[in-house]
Amino acid sequence: MAGDDAPETTEYVLEGFAVPDQLDAVHALLAQAAGEHPELDPTDVMLFETAIIEIANNVVEYGRPEGEVRWKFTIRVRRDEIEAELDDTGQMFTPAQGNAMPDEEAEGGRGLPIAEALLDRIEFERMGDTNHWHMVRRLGQASQD
Amino acid sequence: MTYEEVDQGTHVVLAPEGKFNLVAAPPIKARIDDLVAAGKARLVVDLHAVDFIDSSGLGALIGGLKAARQQGGDLRIAAAGDQVRAVLKLTNLDRILAPYATVEEALHGW
Repeated sequence: MAGDDAPETTEYVLEGFAVPDQLDAVHALLAQAAGEHPELDPTDVMLFETAIIEIANNVVEYGRPEGEVRWKFTIRVRRDEIEAELDDTGQMFTPAQGNAMPDEEAEGGRGLPIAEALLDRIEFERMGDTNHWHMVRRLGQASQD
Repeated sequence: MTYEEVDQGTHVVLAPEGKFNLVAAPPIKARIDDLVAAGKARLVVDLHAVDFIDSSGLGALIGGLKAARQQGGDLRIAAAGDQVRAVLKLTNLDRILAPYATVEEALHGW
């Protein structure tokens, strides 16, 4: 239980290029947040990580020009939720949100449905020359997943 | 990511380590395809050392499963951790990729 003087929100930020090698840095950023917030349920952290990595993958795979897209990941831990914001400088992108989970035999198309299933809010917006993702998972509901 | 490979004659065990993600999945899928093409269509993917899988890793397993079955074999997974099991269940892939507790159990019938 956080004391009365504990901050309401703590923030963790990662900036760099949206390239495959940097996915480890996203994992590390969340590990740092979890390490400094032992009150977080490990299942919440695991499922949130699974979701945000799928969105990060999307930027790494489809962001153009390839290898030149920069991103900024911000993770915020609050008392009742964990939030990530991802801004990238890639070309305008229109995510196919709301798709059902593909059939068992499909080899692709699961990234966004996985993220949508594990998050309570997932929003995409094109802001000027930046793609912006906003992802939130409410805490304390892991047993419902 | 690295992976170990052990050919037991009747089957081959592949044991990836670390994150089975969009970086690791293509080489493992390519290796599975090579093994199946060489007549090694009974495969076990030992996931005990995989701490994270993403949709690319799942795609590699499904692709490998389909390739193995087309050649009369199978691909089975063993020793999956919590995150892998959660994602298999979420995506309904546990219906066709049932996680075996151990490699030994996965070999049942072979």
